Amino acid sequence: MSDAHFDAAKTKKSFFAVGIALFVFTVVTVVVGLVPMFDIGAPGPDAADIILGLAIAGTKASLVALIFMHLNHEKGAIYKLMLFTTIMFACLMVATIFAEMDPIKEQFDTLSTTSGVVSEVR
Amino acid sequence: MQIPHEVIPRRDTGLYNAKIGIWIFLASEVMLFGGLFSAYAFLRLGVQTGVDNPWPWGLSVHKNFVWLGAINTLVLIASSVGVVFAWVAVKERNWKRYQRYMYFVVACALTFMAIKSVEYYSKLVKHHGIKLVDNSVMEGTIIDRSDKIEFQGEKISFNLQGALPWVFKDFESGEFPLLTVESGPDEVVGDKIASAAAFKAWHSSGRAKVMQKLVDERRRYRAERDAGATPKPVSVNSSVTLVATAPFKVNADFRRLVMHNATALNYRDGVKVEGKLVTDAVRFQVHEVDMQLVLPTKQRSSVVWDVIGSAEAKQHFFDKQSEKYAELKEYYDKRGGIIPDKQLRGRFLNVQYVHVPIDEKSGGENKSAQHDSVHTSDMLLTAGGGDSEGHVGPSKTILVPRDKIKFMSNHGPRYGNYYGIYFTITALHGIHVIFGALVLLFFTIFGKKMFLENPDHLANRVEVGGLFWHFVDLVWIFLFPLMYLL
Repeated sequence: MSDAHFDAAKTKKSFFAVGIALFVFTVVTVVVGLVPMFDIGAPGPDAADIILGLAIAGTKASLVALIFMHLNHEKGAIYKLMLFTTIMFACLMVATIFAEMDPIKEQFDTLSTTSGVVSEVR
Repeated sequence: MQIPHEVIPRRDTGLYNAKIGIWIFLASEVMLFGGLFSAYAFLRLGVQTGVDNPWPWGLSVHKNFVWLGAINTLVLIASSVGVVFAWVAVKERNWKRYQRYMYFVVACALTFMAIKSVEYYSKLVKHHGIKLVDNSVMEGTIIDRSDKIEFQGEKISFNLQGALPWVFKDFESGEFPLLTVESGPDEVVGDKIASAAAFKAWHSSGRAKVMQKLVDERRRYRAERDAGATPKPVSVNSSVTLVATAPFKVNADFRRLVMHNATALNYRDGVKVEGKLVTDAVRFQVHEVDMQLVLPTKQRSSVVWDVIGSAEAKQHFFDKQSEKYAELKEYYDKRGGIIPDKQLRGRFLNVQYVHVPIDEKSGGENKSAQHDSVHTSDMLLTAGGGDSEGHVGPSKTILVPRDKIKFMSNHGPRYGNYYGIYFTITALHGIHVIFGALVLLFFTIFGKKMFLENPDHLANRVEVGGLFWHFVDLVWIFLFPLMYLL
C-alpha cells in the first residue's frame, strides 16, 4: 500500500481497535467453550457449539484478512487471484459431505445404540 | 541488476511485484492448509463410528491444553498487531520504533514456539492411554516406563544370516553380560563376548564365515550335480546360541515382540531370548476413563473396573454419569424430544474423571515419590488436574495385566486420528512460524541500509512479510477452536 494519502494516525487507530477485538473474541471463545454456564445448546458439546465456535473464528479471520491484510481496499488483480483459491477451498470443504453419505454407517449406529436400551439401563 | 517494480507499482496490476508474488504464494498456502483442514473434517466425522480411538474431546487432560492454546492465540494476535505497527513506523520513517516492534514480533514467535514445545512434550512424554480389550480406554500416565516387558535373560538364540539382533538394544543401558557361544557353526563355538562393540565385530565376522561356507556348499552342490550324481542338499548351520555367565536384564519393547511367556521372548526379527519373566504388568496412574466405545449396556461390567479394582472409583464414574444424564434429560424434556444417540454415546456422558483412592493397607506397591512427581509438581503437564469436586492428588498406581491391553501409547500421532492430524497441522504451522519469524528478524537486523536508501522499499518488504505473518495467524485462529475446543 504505497498510497499517497497515507494517514498514519487513522491507520494505527484501526489496527489497535482490531487487535482489541481479536483479544476479546478469543476470550469469548474460551469462555463459551469451557464455562458450563455459557454453554449454548444442549449441555455438553453439540452442533450449536460448533457453529458458534466457527462463527467467532470466521469473524476473527475476516478482521485479520480485511484490516491487517488490507483486503478491504486491495487492487483487482489480487481479488481475481484469490477467487480461484476460494473456489478450490470451498470444494475441499464441501467434499466432506461425502463422509455423511454412508448407508452402512447409518446401520451401524442404529444397531449399536438405541435410546431404548440406554433408558432401560438407567 | 535492478529488479523492476520493487516500489513503483506496475501499470497493469497497480501493484508492486512482491505483493503479487506473496499473494500467489498465499493462494497456494490456502490450498495446502485447506487440504489438511478438509482431512481434519473427514477424520472427525468418521470417528463416531467407533473404529478409531475416541477423539480426546472432553478429557480434562485435553482441557488443560485449552489454556496453552488460548495464550498462544493471544500471543500470535499480539504479534500480528506488532507487524502492522512496525509497518506504520517505517511509513513514518521511524527506525527505532520499527525495530522495537519487530523485536516484539520475534519475541512473540519465540514465546509461541516455547509454549508449543511444552504442549508437545507433555503429550509425547507425560500422557498415555491404554485401550483395553473391550474398547474401554484409560487415560493417565504409565509409571517407570513399565510399558516395556521386564525380563531376565540367560540365553539368546538367533541366526547368523540375519541382521544384528534387536535385543541388544533392549539391554539395560550400560550393562553387557559376558556371553559364551554355546552352540553354532564350529568356527564360532566357544567364543567369548564381553561388550557391545565386541559383539558387533564378532557378529560381522561370524556372519562372513557363514556366508563363505554357504558359497562353498553351493559350489559343491553344482559340482556334484554336473558330475551326474544326485547331490546332497545345501546345508549350513548358521544358528547360534549364546549363554550368559550371569543373568542379564532386558527391557523389551512390546512392539518388537511376536510373543512372550514366562520363560521366553520371541522377537520379530526371529531372535529368541530364554530366561525368566520378571514382570508383565503395566504400572499406571489412571486419571480418566473413556467409555465412548463401550455400549451403554456393557459399561457396568466393563473389564476396566476389574483392572482398576476400586468400587469407589466405579461408583464415582456412574454417579457423575447419572448426574449429567439428568441434565441432558431435563434439557430435552423441555423441548419435548428424546435424547439423540449421538449425545448418549458421546463424551459428555461417557468420559469421566476417575480417582482411585490409595488403600492404606496395600500401600506397599505404591511409591509415593512417583506420585509426587507425576501428580503434584507439574499438574498442567500430567494429570487431568482434578474434576469439579476438587479430586486432585495422588491416585493409587494400578497394575494393568498385559493380556487385558489392546493398545497403549503416548499421546503421539499413533494414538488416534485426532493426534495424527493435530501433530501434522500444528507442526506444519509451527514451521511456518519459525520461518516467518526468521524472515522478519532478517528485515529487522539488516534493514537499516535499505531504510536509509529507500524506506518505501523496506516498507513494502515489511508489508509482504507481514502478509505472510497474518496468514500464519489466520490459520491458528481456526486451529485453536478446532483442535482444542470443538
